Amino acid sequence: MILPKTRWLFLTIMIFAVARPVLAQDIPVLFPEPLSPRIANYNIDVKLDVGKKTLDGQEVLIWHNKSQDAITELQFHLYLNGFRNSESTFMQESGGRSRRNKLDEKGWGHIEVTSMKLTFGGKLTGAPRYLAPPDAPKVLDNAFDLTGDMQFIQPDNDNAEDKSVFSVPLPRPLQPGEFVAVNMDFNAKLPEPPMARTGAKEDYFFVGQWFPKVGVYTENGWNTHQFHANSEFFADYGVYNVRMTVPENYVLGATGVEVEVAENDDGTATHFYHAEDVHDFAWTTSPEFIEVTGKSQDVDIRVLMQPDHADQGERHLAATQFAVQVFQDWYGDYPFPNLTVVDPRRGAGGSGGMEYPTLVTAGTKYGLPAGIQAVEHVIIHEFGHNYWYHLLASNEFEESWMDEGINTYTDIQTNRARKTTGGDLIDFLGVQVDADQLFRTNVMFGAGRDPIMRRAWEYYSGGSYGVNSYAKPGIVLQTLHNLLGDEVMSKIMRTYVERWRFKHPKSQDFFDVVNEVSGQDMDWFIEQAWYTNATLDYSVTRVTTREVKKPKGFDYTLPVSESDSMMTRDEDEQTNIEVAAASAVPTVDEAAEPDSDDEPQETKLYFSEVRIRRLGQFQFPVEIEAVFDDGEVIREHWDGQELWQKYRYTRPAKLVSATVDPEGQVLLDVNFTNNSATVAQQKLGINKVSERWMFWMQLFLEQPDILHLLQMPRELIK
Amino acid sequence: MILSSIKTGLAQVWKSKRMVLIFFLANLSFALVLMLPFRAAVSNFAGETLMGTKLAGHLPIDFIFELMKNNKSLFSIYGTLFMLVPASYWLLSLFLSGGAFATFARGDGYSSPAFWAGAATYFGRFNRLFLWSLPVFAVLLCLQFLETGFQRLIFGSDPYEYVKYWGGWVKYGLRVISFVLCAMVYDYARIHVVTTGETRMRVSLWHGIRTVFGNLGRTFALAFGLFLCGALVLAIYNPIADSLAAPNAFVVLTLFVLQQAYMLFRMLLRLTLYSSQLFLSNKLAGAPAPLEISTDPQGLEGAAA
Ligand SMILES: [Zn+2]
Repeated sequence: MILPKTRWLFLTIMIFAVARPVLAQDIPVLFPEPLSPRIANYNIDVKLDVGKKTLDGQEVLIWHNKSQDAITELQFHLYLNGFRNSESTFMQESGGRSRRNKLDEKGWGHIEVTSMKLTFGGKLTGAPRYLAPPDAPKVLDNAFDLTGDMQFIQPDNDNAEDKSVFSVPLPRPLQPGEFVAVNMDFNAKLPEPPMARTGAKEDYFFVGQWFPKVGVYTENGWNTHQFHANSEFFADYGVYNVRMTVPENYVLGATGVEVEVAENDDGTATHFYHAEDVHDFAWTTSPEFIEVTGKSQDVDIRVLMQPDHADQGERHLAATQFAVQVFQDWYGDYPFPNLTVVDPRRGAGGSGGMEYPTLVTAGTKYGLPAGIQAVEHVIIHEFGHNYWYHLLASNEFEESWMDEGINTYTDIQTNRARKTTGGDLIDFLGVQVDADQLFRTNVMFGAGRDPIMRRAWEYYSGGSYGVNSYAKPGIVLQTLHNLLGDEVMSKIMRTYVERWRFKHPKSQDFFDVVNEVSGQDMDWFIEQAWYTNATLDYSVTRVTTREVKKPKGFDYTLPVSESDSMMTRDEDEQTNIEVAAASAVPTVDEAAEPDSDDEPQETKLYFSEVRIRRLGQFQFPVEIEAVFDDGEVIREHWDGQELWQKYRYTRPAKLVSATVDPEGQVLLDVNFTNNSATVAQQKLGINKVSERWMFWMQLFLEQPDILHLLQMPRELIK
Repeated sequence: MILSSIKTGLAQVWKSKRMVLIFFLANLSFALVLMLPFRAAVSNFAGETLMGTKLAGHLPIDFIFELMKNNKSLFSIYGTLFMLVPASYWLLSLFLSGGAFATFARGDGYSSPAFWAGAATYFGRFNRLFLWSLPVFAVLLCLQFLETGFQRLIFGSDPYEYVKYWGGWVKYGLRVISFVLCAMVYDYARIHVVTTGETRMRVSLWHGIRTVFGNLGRTFALAFGLFLCGALVLAIYNPIADSLAAPNAFVVLTLFVLQQAYMLFRMLLRLTLYSSQLFLSNKLAGAPAPLEISTDPQGLEGAAA
């Protein structure tokens, strides 16, 4: 049932929507059939004061109750309050630092809602209609004034000083299928310099997480979290109409498509942007932006460069074009018509390397050598988010790996696809580094403190959040990829994207796709890789080979059997017994067999043994390769379950080496060096690295000031 | 004058080839101390693995990180070694430099007793001279802040990145120049000690400063020219060394020979610098060269006193 007042409002909304054809025509319709459940729809009018770095905004949120519950309150994020003072949860957790950035003395950021009015709408059939900002306040004249009812809440901890989430009780329960229109006035101050993805530096503004943003209502009620140092975001999809007023000489870029730019009398201009089926809206403005445009497949690309990086505009564009092309080819359509790439100003690195719907930020340095592909990597990574963060939009507060981790996995794919010679990330002054090597190193050094599965702010440390949200799931997925093969894995990824577009998948949804598409029960892998901190490390711990001497002693005959003997035991103490038993019954390979009768002369036989240990708790099936000096290569498969495994061979050739995972497919293995063992010392390699090391030591002794060259990068980063 | 200094310097070094060898062996033996723990760790970690084989080719980045991860004690070992060995090496070089300057001052080539006597004679004085020189070095090293000041003055506190980038290189250049200047002052002061037998180190230091800055064009051109020569050959060496990546014994040996040839060349350059500077110093003082001053008993007696 709809209250009389609400019914009036609803009718008015519909009338306005229909009776203002000018407006309806002005706003382009991107997707006649909505791509997403358009739950949270925003009309925002915002004015930027470039001197004070403040925002003055009016927001109308049209929010639909698409749940089965009667909802009694609304919850909103006020992310900018994370920068309010030293006591906010963000500041407490971050120690005032985010990446390398620190706020200026007076750089605090904050946001206040100065007025909140609410009106109920009725049940809608079909796609909802929206109001443009100038009209919305009129409609809401008779609304409930909830300004005094807002209350800060702290869903994640008991930090009463944190003001990044508030709740407001509804005058009456909002029934399933109904919607509300919430009219808010707000003032905000942007942090200086940009911090944790948003803020201002001189005349450069990157405006992210900037407006009162409704939480997500799930089957478990409101899913709203405070702004944490180690967390990204979660939001519902909707339609955004945003009018941003900035000085008229400023260039502006934003989520969505530009509808119009209107010049005002006071030297400002109002830029009107419209976006559909997005779950956030960010914008940037600066008088200094230099625009570089291009196209990739069906996507228009606009790169906004800083003047001191103007010479890298084409580099940015080429990386973006590549990203759009491979992602569309591999993971399906990017349905939006355009993409904006923002190059942050010097001193505003805190706004770099971030993703927003249809808008991403990169980050480079003047003089960045072509051999250091950092900026290409960032751009491709951030565009990748437009799939995992934007099209699929998992809950980054609670399952950060589903965005950053999958994106790290796709980073590995895109880097490999771009690789020509040398390292695919760094190929500079003889140093060659591939992206997966870098990620694997992260895992090696720092993954052990948590499993991947944790809520973002509950990891042991910022470092542990980082490695378990990015590198570890990336390497886990690449290991899975290598195990299942290219074809199966690409089918998994494609199925996952197609099935879960605009639906906020959870971890189990991804795992279900893995099991279904691979046709295997991969839970044994998923359980270990995602839910434990188990280390994977298989090692060839011993290789021996010796000539089989004629047996000594009483009544002894040499039996010949064709199979290799294999044993496994849980207890190391039993090893000796097993070895003793085995040497009493040596075995020969098939290759040696035919000789035994026909050839009168004796063939020398060698008894060789390979011992492999599982040094970590992670159990994983592995291939083993034993190489003999007659060129023979024997492959074994071990399920990797027990603590160790031995392979014994009696063959007419000496064992040369044994390798576990000879192709280096198991990237999760934290030690590749111990994956092989050779019977002979490998002096040549040791000599080579030693002589190179010694030469640098000689040089260093002779000219210690050579170390000052190492200061150059620091000079540049400052 | 510079070319003739270098020519004379080279001729002097040629007469004292064994001295080059002494400097080279000193460098090699100290570098060996810095190399052995590394070699032991690598050998222990990868000596009997296929990774060890791979190391003969291009150095895999995975290996470097795995070595670091699994050999944490290397960090503490090298933490100590990097403090002790360079300092000891510096002292030894200082000791040997006394012999070298004495030999060049005599001008009749290397003779073992004279070399070692020179080394012993001047070691104490060179050390005192170093202490006297520290404030001068500090002032010279501040040269780099000229760039910081000018950048601030011209471009303010928020310059474009290219200003910082090129400013960074200028600063680096200034730092190199100030290192060269420090070394020059110290060299000419030592030359003064050896050629005059001076025992008051502040006098020699003052002489060194006057020689360097009184004839800056010539003194700097000589020292910086030879410095550049060393840097240039290193720049040529690097790509050649990188190309020597084939995993076979011949290539590994060739690389070793190349490296040591370069180090020998460095020692030759250093001694040529000493000898040319001595020649230049005498020329500037109007004295005939080479001088036979170090045979002057006053010098040796002064040291013994
Ligand atoms: Zn990311």
